[in-house]
Amino acid sequence: MSGILAFQLYDWHFFFQQVIAGVTVGSLYGLIALGYTMVYGVLKLLNFAHGDVYMIGAYIGLFVLTALGSPLNPILPLLPMILLAFAASMAGCSILGVVIERFAYRPLRNAPRIAPLISALGVSFFLQQTAVLLFGANPRTYDTFDLEKNEAGVGVLFHTKTVGNFSIQYIELVVILSTVVLMAALSLFVWRTRTGKAMRAVSVDREAASMMGIDVDRVISITFLIGSALAAAAGVMTGLIYQQLNPYMGFGTGLKAFTAAVIGGIGNIGGAVLGGLLIGLIETFTVAYLSSTFSDLILFSLLVIFMLFRPTGIRGTPVLQKV
Amino acid sequence: MSTDAPTPAPTPSDPGGGPQIGADEWVRRSGERTGGSKGVVGFLNRVADRTPHILLLLAFLGFACAIPFLTSNGYVIGVATDTMLYVLLAMGLNVAVGWAGMLDLGYVIFYGFAAYLFAELSSAHYGIHWATWQSVPFVIACTILLGFVLSLPSLRLSGDYFAIVMLFFLEIFNNFTANGYTWNWFGLGSPHDITGGPTGITNIDPWRFFGHALDPNNAQNYLWVASAGVFVIAILLAYVNKARTGRAWRALREDPLAANLMGMPVKWLGLLAIAVGAGVAGFAGTVNASYYQGVFPDAFTLQLLITIYAMVILGGAGSLGGVIFGAVAVNVMLEVLTTPNHARWVFYAAVLLGLVAKVRPWKVLAAVLGGLVAFGLIAHQVVEAVWARGVGGPIAMGPTSYTTHGFFATLIRQWMVLPKGTYENADYRIGNYAFVIVIAMVLTCTVLKGWKRYVLLVPTIWGAAFVWETDLVNQGPTTRYLLLGLLLIGLMATRPNGIFGQQRVEIV
Amino acid sequence: MSESQAARTPLLELRELSVSFGGLRVIDELDIQVAEHEIVSVIGPNGAGKTTLFNLITGVYRPDGGDILLDGQSLVGLAPHKITERGVARTFQTLRLFLNMTVKENVMAAQYVRTKATLIEQMLQLPRARREEREMNAFAEEKLGFFGERLMGYRWNQPAYSLSYANRRRLEIARATATRPRILLLDEPAAGMNPVETHEITELIGKLREEAGFTILLIEHDMHVVEGISDRVVALDHGVKIAEGTFEQVATDPRVVEAYLGASATVTK
Repeated sequence: MSGILAFQLYDWHFFFQQVIAGVTVGSLYGLIALGYTMVYGVLKLLNFAHGDVYMIGAYIGLFVLTALGSPLNPILPLLPMILLAFAASMAGCSILGVVIERFAYRPLRNAPRIAPLISALGVSFFLQQTAVLLFGANPRTYDTFDLEKNEAGVGVLFHTKTVGNFSIQYIELVVILSTVVLMAALSLFVWRTRTGKAMRAVSVDREAASMMGIDVDRVISITFLIGSALAAAAGVMTGLIYQQLNPYMGFGTGLKAFTAAVIGGIGNIGGAVLGGLLIGLIETFTVAYLSSTFSDLILFSLLVIFMLFRPTGIRGTPVLQKV
Repeated sequence: MSTDAPTPAPTPSDPGGGPQIGADEWVRRSGERTGGSKGVVGFLNRVADRTPHILLLLAFLGFACAIPFLTSNGYVIGVATDTMLYVLLAMGLNVAVGWAGMLDLGYVIFYGFAAYLFAELSSAHYGIHWATWQSVPFVIACTILLGFVLSLPSLRLSGDYFAIVMLFFLEIFNNFTANGYTWNWFGLGSPHDITGGPTGITNIDPWRFFGHALDPNNAQNYLWVASAGVFVIAILLAYVNKARTGRAWRALREDPLAANLMGMPVKWLGLLAIAVGAGVAGFAGTVNASYYQGVFPDAFTLQLLITIYAMVILGGAGSLGGVIFGAVAVNVMLEVLTTPNHARWVFYAAVLLGLVAKVRPWKVLAAVLGGLVAFGLIAHQVVEAVWARGVGGPIAMGPTSYTTHGFFATLIRQWMVLPKGTYENADYRIGNYAFVIVIAMVLTCTVLKGWKRYVLLVPTIWGAAFVWETDLVNQGPTTRYLLLGLLLIGLMATRPNGIFGQQRVEIV
Repeated sequence: MSESQAARTPLLELRELSVSFGGLRVIDELDIQVAEHEIVSVIGPNGAGKTTLFNLITGVYRPDGGDILLDGQSLVGLAPHKITERGVARTFQTLRLFLNMTVKENVMAAQYVRTKATLIEQMLQLPRARREEREMNAFAEEKLGFFGERLMGYRWNQPAYSLSYANRRRLEIARATATRPRILLLDEPAAGMNPVETHEITELIGKLREEAGFTILLIEHDMHVVEGISDRVVALDHGVKIAEGTFEQVATDPRVVEAYLGASATVTK
């Protein structure tokens, strides 16, 4: 096995492939992490159910695609079909996120800290089983590989563009670019709009913000709306690239994404994406060069060590508390 | 619960109907009689307060152990044994969560670790067969040690972050047990089969006492073993709770900073709470391994963790009796929901009870019930006229059996719209669409007020029954966890302290 | 206070104590001494750093510079519960009782540090555990009895949240005394009390010194209490000691007046 390791270290083409793959999956983690970081910022709540919202987003995309006949008899061309999947998924999950906040978290604003956490676990359970109910417990697939195949049988999304040692698939490009665009849009929103300013105010001091005339409930709903929409987008993209979905995929991915948010400094938007990229790269390289079966074990062990040494994250500031 | 970053001056939350800070003693005395003591729960609480708890425990265990004599139904005895295991687990989790107020999200690791270690020491896997009196205490000791090790991060990290790290440990554990059959130290050694991988370890030795082996196919043996364990552990834990460490744990839950400043070593107490819980889980793990005769990676996952949390929270975290009740209630409910015919009655009973309890005055209740019956009959006629295949389907009785005969079956079939072919073709799509719609209707009901709510309630309940009959009732494993999730959400919104938990004043 | 007392090693000594938070110097080179059985009051306007001082002494914060000595031994760097074990106990400005525990349990919990029964002994109710439990029970009743009848009898088994405000303050003091401290740090014990209760608290503090022999360091805003009970007064402003002496000396010190009333205030006596 170590022989293979040595061999692969010299294969630059393989190396760059892993870099791109790592950045791709890292972007997805980053998108999901944005939802976690924003919600923790305004509510100080670990929204365990967010990973399952991501999962539901992926399934909504699946539903739309299969309803439109994908992959073998699509009734629409590729681009509109995918855009429709995105639109439906993001819209559906936005509503889902707002509904979850309204019914599972808002009544618990003044309850002991453990109550919303337990409620979140309950929502997570509920969403997982709903997916099993509606879509079955067996893994389902987007079959995007079969979409618009060329003569070699490779779907158009997976065509690669190669420049020297460096190659990238169209779908990977799409993912990375969308993440950059979405992150930029979110940053603009948070830093340049009134609602964004309200969000920042609420995350610093909720009571003071409400006394300044900010509609805290509305701000929190918008936070959930945006976070869930981003997670849904990540879900659809997951389906497009990795194709396989199962109702329990939300938890593991969600945990990694939440860790990405923590690594980047909780409450910090750029940090969340940065954390996601870091985790994506570490995970991909671990799978490629060390061990694919135990990649989770290695990754989470590294994360444990990281948390012990820098719990406030890379870009977080140690919190100053005044008694 | 960080004690090195003291929180700003705590302000008590306004508990509304709950206990009031500074409420005069006279008020509080009268509150004792009425507050939190309504109805059945209040009655049970008062009975429990007046009876010595040891008698209650013996009564419960006595009944449980008598079950094999009351019935020869192996399934029932099996459920009782499972329930006893859950009782053990709930009591163990209660130490860290209910008493010390720590969020121990890695609890199932201890359960699984103990089960796997027992399996390695007493099975054909490695060919070692330690005697029961050697392996059980050794496994428990190792699990307690693991409890200390895994709780070490709490020394550096505050509550939320420590919880995350525990989840990491859980993922690591799950990854290892599921893939541990080709463990080769990342290329540095030859492959070892440590955990048996996805198929786990089987052929585990049964417990042996004085040469006499407990036959695992006879569930009652393990029911008695588990009950004995519950008895001993409940007593040990109850004694600790009344002594200095128990008080220190409860002080830690109340206010870690104040506890620390009153001389209590809060960090050590936190480690201790998790380790004690791990010990209890360790014992349960050894029973589990030899009763089920096998250990498998997907038995010790987040799903199990959330189930145990549901038991502890439902019963009332912090109350030993409460969590025992919670374990029994949740596990029995989950089992009942697995069989369609039983599940059906649970549903209708719950709906009826809910309506009777919540809809006042009785005229409105009668109107709602009458409207419900009428709505169903009318809907049935309408659908029959419009879509021939819409009615006439049978009702589900078991996983693959359904019927059209019987008194209740006829009643339900007249009231309900049961499309033909739902079961024969396993075509649940209508039920699925209806599911989403009914969820939306339920949520809308909660936000409406007054007469509008009652009007919408009728089609909502009928719709829920429709979904139940055409879809959920036949998918036991899914339905039960679906409802467990809903239960947790509803419980937190209405009674965050559980059914038998004390109403607490919380500082936010 | 006699000269022989002043010459002895002080029970509590702060030497050039300093701490900064985020660039703001909250306590600056503070020197304070408290002799055994003395009652010393710390006064100063809000934000002067008084509660921070208590937090430093009890180990909640770590000083940037200087030393804190109890009976000549440094407390700096010790964990808070260890400092309590050495003999320092406090109450809190905003009351931090164990609200959901009973009155008696609050006081018994504070005895954890003075008892030794291990977990196994407690689980098996071995003799040492049972004996200690009896002793803790009796000791708690004795400590609660210090306050007259207010916290006795049926009150023992009532949850702490059901007590009136004044009784909760008393309970917090009782709880602190249950740790068998050498020195008591009382943080605004008369806050929020009416004149009758204030008078009672003043007498109580005196009683704590006379009958129970405690040394007391007191933060207080109510000058009636300070005047009525202090052997010495220390005035702080912005973390710096600006005056020290008897109550009369400190109350008329121009810097103290300026700190409370502003620079343009003139003193009329």
